[in-house]
Amino acid sequence: MTWPGVPPAVPAILLALLLGAALVAATGGDPLDAYGQIVVGALAWENLTNTLNWAVPLVGMTLVAAIPLRGGMVNLGGDGQLVAGGLVAALVPLWLPAPGWVLILLATALAMLAGGLVAALAGLGEVRFGVPLLISSLLLNYPVAGLASWLVGFPLRDRSSGLPQTVMIPAAAQLPPLGDVLNMGAFAMLAVVLCVVFFDRATVAGYELRMRGLNARFAAYGGVRLGRQALAAMAASGAVAGIVGALLVLGSQYRFTDGALLSPAYTWSGLMAALLAEGEPVGSIAAGMFFAALQTGGFAMERETSVPRELSMVLQALVILLLAARHGLARRRA
Amino acid sequence: MVPALEVRGIVKRYGGLLANDGIDLAVAAGEVHAVMGENGAGKTTLMSILYGLQPPDAGEMFRDGRWVRFRSSADAIAAGLGMVHQAFRLFGSLTVWENVVYGREPRRGGFIDRRAAREAVAALAVRYGLAVAPDAVVDRLSVGVRQRVEILKTLYRRARVLILDEPTAVLTPPEREALFAVLRALVADGSSVLFVTHKLDEVMAISDRVTVLRDGRVAAHMATRETSPREIVRAMIGRSLPPPPPRTGEPPGEVRLEVRDLFVRAPGRPPPVAGVSFAVRAGEIVGIAGVAGNGQTELVEALAGLRRPDGGRVAVNGRDVTAADAAGHRAAGLAYVPEDRAAVGTARAASAAENLALGFHRAPPIARGRLLDRAAMRAWARQLIARFDIRIAGERSPAGTLSGGNLQKLVVARELAHAAPVLIAEQPTRGVDVGAIATIHAQLAAERAARRAVLVVSAELSEILALSDRVLAMFEGRIIAECDGAAADEEGIGALMAGRRAEAA
Repeated sequence: MTWPGVPPAVPAILLALLLGAALVAATGGDPLDAYGQIVVGALAWENLTNTLNWAVPLVGMTLVAAIPLRGGMVNLGGDGQLVAGGLVAALVPLWLPAPGWVLILLATALAMLAGGLVAALAGLGEVRFGVPLLISSLLLNYPVAGLASWLVGFPLRDRSSGLPQTVMIPAAAQLPPLGDVLNMGAFAMLAVVLCVVFFDRATVAGYELRMRGLNARFAAYGGVRLGRQALAAMAASGAVAGIVGALLVLGSQYRFTDGALLSPAYTWSGLMAALLAEGEPVGSIAAGMFFAALQTGGFAMERETSVPRELSMVLQALVILLLAARHGLARRRA
Repeated sequence: MVPALEVRGIVKRYGGLLANDGIDLAVAAGEVHAVMGENGAGKTTLMSILYGLQPPDAGEMFRDGRWVRFRSSADAIAAGLGMVHQAFRLFGSLTVWENVVYGREPRRGGFIDRRAAREAVAALAVRYGLAVAPDAVVDRLSVGVRQRVEILKTLYRRARVLILDEPTAVLTPPEREALFAVLRALVADGSSVLFVTHKLDEVMAISDRVTVLRDGRVAAHMATRETSPREIVRAMIGRSLPPPPPRTGEPPGEVRLEVRDLFVRAPGRPPPVAGVSFAVRAGEIVGIAGVAGNGQTELVEALAGLRRPDGGRVAVNGRDVTAADAAGHRAAGLAYVPEDRAAVGTARAASAAENLALGFHRAPPIARGRLLDRAAMRAWARQLIARFDIRIAGERSPAGTLSGGNLQKLVVARELAHAAPVLIAEQPTRGVDVGAIATIHAQLAAERAARRAVLVVSAELSEILALSDRVLAMFEGRIIAECDGAAADEEGIGALMAGRRAEAA
């Protein structure tokens, strides 16, 4: 299943759509209606802002996965890094007396630091202690999320509310809205996207990271310090997760509510999007946008038809599986 | 007489490249037929077509005069062909006889008839003079013996036409002689051998006829007795070879690379490097000779900073780099042509420009501050591609599109361009054709003339002898002898490589 000039993701997506249609039909639904609702729900003019709003954190978490993946490393710790950033961003405006824009900048900067530190700790696990990054990054999610959960459940809890959440941040520290749905966070994310693409295309460090991803032994042989590079890539990745947490808290949730950052599973959709493009930033971002549209459309489909929105997650997973199977088949034939 | 194997007009095209362009070849029963040619001349393609690994676009094949067509190597095996690949395909943890009968086990009542299998293998080994113990575990055998197991595999499958792809690349001189004895026994028995090689002396020693390929075509069919190495080379590259680089005769200068009592340990086996000491001075080439697997790889990895030594000291250009990583070694003034150009020396999916830039990418003109100047990177690549005559479509093409010899040129080009005081060249011409070998040897000699310290590590004795001012023989992790390069001879060092200490070296 290879056509010259066609990215391998395209046939994988088409086949996934076919399989998804079969699934819908088998459960008594109308696949054309379901897909139609997804398209309308995601791309109709009045719904486009919803899609973009959903894409901001999803694309952010796509970059979180894509940055290390470009160097052949997998960061499974996006959840923990996201929570660390979100919690810090929710606390800074409560504790620091300062003008609103200072609070926003400071909260975001400290959120980056928090996310970056959590990720760097996972990197240190591999570089210093020989714990594979896959494991160290994944397992750090649980203590970080657990600690955040306890903090907002007990010492930092908003007593006036029945939920485990922090006190709402002052209005001055909230990101200004852009229309009904979006907020200024979208521009912040656009800036992050541009930075990552620029880093990948135009910097010495971006070149070194790409070479590591293509052949780590080659990079080391050429004088790249792999350990230091792994820490830097992880820290950058975690810092982006911190930004995503900060934008969600400052831009739409206005407080840290236990579980609110993790329930949409941005981390995992982002990881899949990055895998789809093998960490190449522009492709990853495109895949992240695609998944955001799929998920936003999924909500509309659930409202309008009897098909549950889990279908969009099924489609996402099918795309990845088919793409992986294609790689495996190609290898067996070779 | 009807040839045992004949092909007529074989054509194979890969995209725009004509790999085989109307090749005719006939191998008689009872002859050793050598196939020679530069890298990219089409030898590998032709062999894979003969063995049914890929179909030709045009052309016909005949086995004992009968028209045949192979859809897979299974068809080729059924027609009596056997192939010994360069990289062996053996199960290391199984015994010799288990490897030989694998896939064609004699059975009795659903079980493998072990006794019949053992006896069949032992009988074959005796018949063709292949000294192999059927019950030996393959992992414990030397490379030369493993090759005999591969040959036994083909014979067990009743091959009458054996294809050997560069069979001597990994052998010591005595092992090579043993292989030739086996080949002679085979052809005496009426079998045919198709022998692919880069080495002229082997062609002269063992073959009855030679077919030379150039640019996908047959450049010459010759009877070995009636030709000369010069003539073969001219057919291969279309010109005569330049004379080998002369030794300068200037005395070497300061010590540039110093190794003291170096140890590299490995779990579960004797230390691969067990107390090695030597020095390389400015303006000399020191060669380390040894059969693959005697610690050279580990030694060089330690010298290049890819592996931390477990004991001893390494100094590059007077700076102690024992504990430094590869970046530290490079900073101290070391350039390194690694043995494995695909796994270490290049990133196949990256462009040639990106491959040629590594190591130069942090300084101007390629780096401008922390930014990468892509135009400068490509200009740099074009310059090296021209200077070192790397045959590639363009600097943006992936390195993986290069043939083995050109990929090696790319690695050599990049490392020589460093003009570093110390150069380590590990198997600098492995799998490279005679024309490119001459070029690379001349370049290494030019490094010596430029007063650089060059360490050449090679399993290729002729290469060591052609280049080195001093030769160190390495065996089981130790330097067991040192001799003067000009005075050294193949037989003496060959014996040393096999572990016999020189009485008076």
